[in-house]
Amino acid sequence: MSAATEALGRRRVGVGEAVTSWIRRSPWIVALIGLLVVFFAITKMLVPNYGAPGVQALGISILPNALAAVAQAIVVISGGIDLSVGSMMALTSVVSAVLMKGQSDIFAVGVVLGTLALGVLLGAINGALIVATRVPDIVVTLAMSFVWAGVALLIIHTPGGGAAPWLMETIRGPLVSEWIPRGLVVLAVLVGAIWIPLRRSNLGLSLFAIGSNRLAAFRSGVPVDRMKIVSYALTGLFSSLAGLALTANTGNASPVPGPYTLESIAAIVLGGVSLAGGRGGVVGPILAVAVLYLIRIDLQFIGINPNFGTVVQGVILIGVVMLGSFLALRRVRP
Amino acid sequence: MKRLGLARGLVAVATLAILAGACTGTASPGASGGGAKAYSIGFSNPGGVGNGWREAMLCSAKAEAVKTGEVTKVTIIHHDTDANGQLADIRSLIAQGVSAIIINPADPDALNPGIAEALAAKIPVVAVDASVTAPGAYNLSNDQVQYAYLGASWLFKALGGTGDVVYMRGIAGHPADTDRDTGFKKALSENPGIKVVKEVATKWDPATATTQINDILSSGLKFDGIWTSGVDSTIVDALKTAKHPFVPIVGADNAGFVNQLLNETGLKGAAVTNPPSVGGAGVKLATQILDGKPPSATTVHVTPELWDNTTDAGKASLKAAADPKINPLWPLGLTIKDWTDYSKDEVIACKGPGE
Repeated sequence: MSAATEALGRRRVGVGEAVTSWIRRSPWIVALIGLLVVFFAITKMLVPNYGAPGVQALGISILPNALAAVAQAIVVISGGIDLSVGSMMALTSVVSAVLMKGQSDIFAVGVVLGTLALGVLLGAINGALIVATRVPDIVVTLAMSFVWAGVALLIIHTPGGGAAPWLMETIRGPLVSEWIPRGLVVLAVLVGAIWIPLRRSNLGLSLFAIGSNRLAAFRSGVPVDRMKIVSYALTGLFSSLAGLALTANTGNASPVPGPYTLESIAAIVLGGVSLAGGRGGVVGPILAVAVLYLIRIDLQFIGINPNFGTVVQGVILIGVVMLGSFLALRRVRP
Repeated sequence: MKRLGLARGLVAVATLAILAGACTGTASPGASGGGAKAYSIGFSNPGGVGNGWREAMLCSAKAEAVKTGEVTKVTIIHHDTDANGQLADIRSLIAQGVSAIIINPADPDALNPGIAEALAAKIPVVAVDASVTAPGAYNLSNDQVQYAYLGASWLFKALGGTGDVVYMRGIAGHPADTDRDTGFKKALSENPGIKVVKEVATKWDPATATTQINDILSSGLKFDGIWTSGVDSTIVDALKTAKHPFVPIVGADNAGFVNQLLNETGLKGAAVTNPPSVGGAGVKLATQILDGKPPSATTVHVTPELWDNTTDAGKASLKAAADPKINPLWPLGLTIKDWTDYSKDEVIACKGPGE
């Protein structure tokens, strides 16, 4: 018995240490969680009956933005940037909705898998063009954003298509408890199944390596060009997941890209991903999307014009980035 | 050293929290009034920022909310977004616990999940300006099929039944635009001599429409008439600037356009009414539902009228409607009989309850 207690005690210490060491390693994430708690508190103050329905609304509303932020985070960590995330979302959303309309549930599963493959292909084309032409990432992906959006408009001029009921149900409503929105569960499962194993693999290490120091990565034997294409393909994959989230949310698709590209960049910056590459993760950007969402609805609750709200968001963003670099500078100094 | 960084981070968060708390302290509205009925209305308008019609619609909703005496707060979410963004807006209004939600829908079907969630939370939903297909939602709008049919029929008749027409639509996929297209096509099928030589989507945005008409003018395309979906005075201005002879044109009852119909020599045209006061009417309908006195039908249509400057009766209607006090980009139909109770000055002042 004493041995068991001892073991239990030791494990508890182990967990505690792990937590404290994680907290020390990720001050940015801790700060974001703090910020999230603060904004939940403010929301609760503004709207005393804010509760489970509000959390459910958050879960489903942030899903496309959160997946777009993950997509952007991966490519920026690898030293690139993708301005075509929103257009890839529109294109994959349109393709999935057009193919799914009026089809059986089984066929819809095929459509979902096909849409994900399309996302990987679009991203890989972006990456291959950058590697082959040596034109800067920002120029290639800006140009491709017009191409992908144009293709979406060629497929349908006006919002249309359909979505399988099971796909719409997957992200809607709560799971087990009314406080756990399905949208967040889907997000956690997707990130847990794709990003976490990837990050722990050699492939993930290589992505961080090419983002951190391309030359050093090359000299250490990392296939730099191939990794660049892989990073864009992963961004394409998450963009297509975000596109599917749009289809699942509304039950149809709009060929006009939403504001997702720039919001994804805002989210990764606030989420602690270095725009210079090589540093950051995907949890920070997801938390940042939630924070930006709460800021937006709080401004609505106060009754501030939403167009002024975007100004406030921008100011907060600049403030956070300045604070971040200030703290980073202080940390570097002895 | 690292721990110091963390401590700084936490201090920063705490500072932000205090600042934010201070802000909300001053900004929190005195929500509950003294009376028995204290409804709060949420209004989601997902487009047309800078469009006079949409501005007037929102002002009309505010003015009517004051007049009902039962509404203590109107929360307006007015920004350019898509159906997906409007769904998020509807859900945040539900989370806020408003008594009723009024929407100008971006899509007839895509908002249905959010509307169903609102109805499940016992929040009635009224769609104004255009219709939604969600069961249980109320639709209150101008008869948009008839709106387009009236104007197009007048235009085709003015052209003597033959000629080339430029067709300037609104936002692709917006249910009102789709309904108007139905009405336009109906008039077209009755006039086989008319040909549509150019079709564009103006997004109901004056700047976009100006670029489009200038492109058409500089391409040298020959046309005999123009049908617009409500961005009208800027088209007349573009024709003047390009020194292109006037052709018969159809627009809406916007102040600037009505003024041109009355004063521009050689301009033949007609204005079809499309009252933005459906915003205020939506508020009245919502309070009726909340009071337990819902209308018998879930669809309420306002009937449009046509005022042309080629007949005496039309000219009289134009003259009666013209009002120099009203912004040229605003429509003139600021009130609807039986559905709005405010005065024209009150809607122009654009003040909601508690403002």
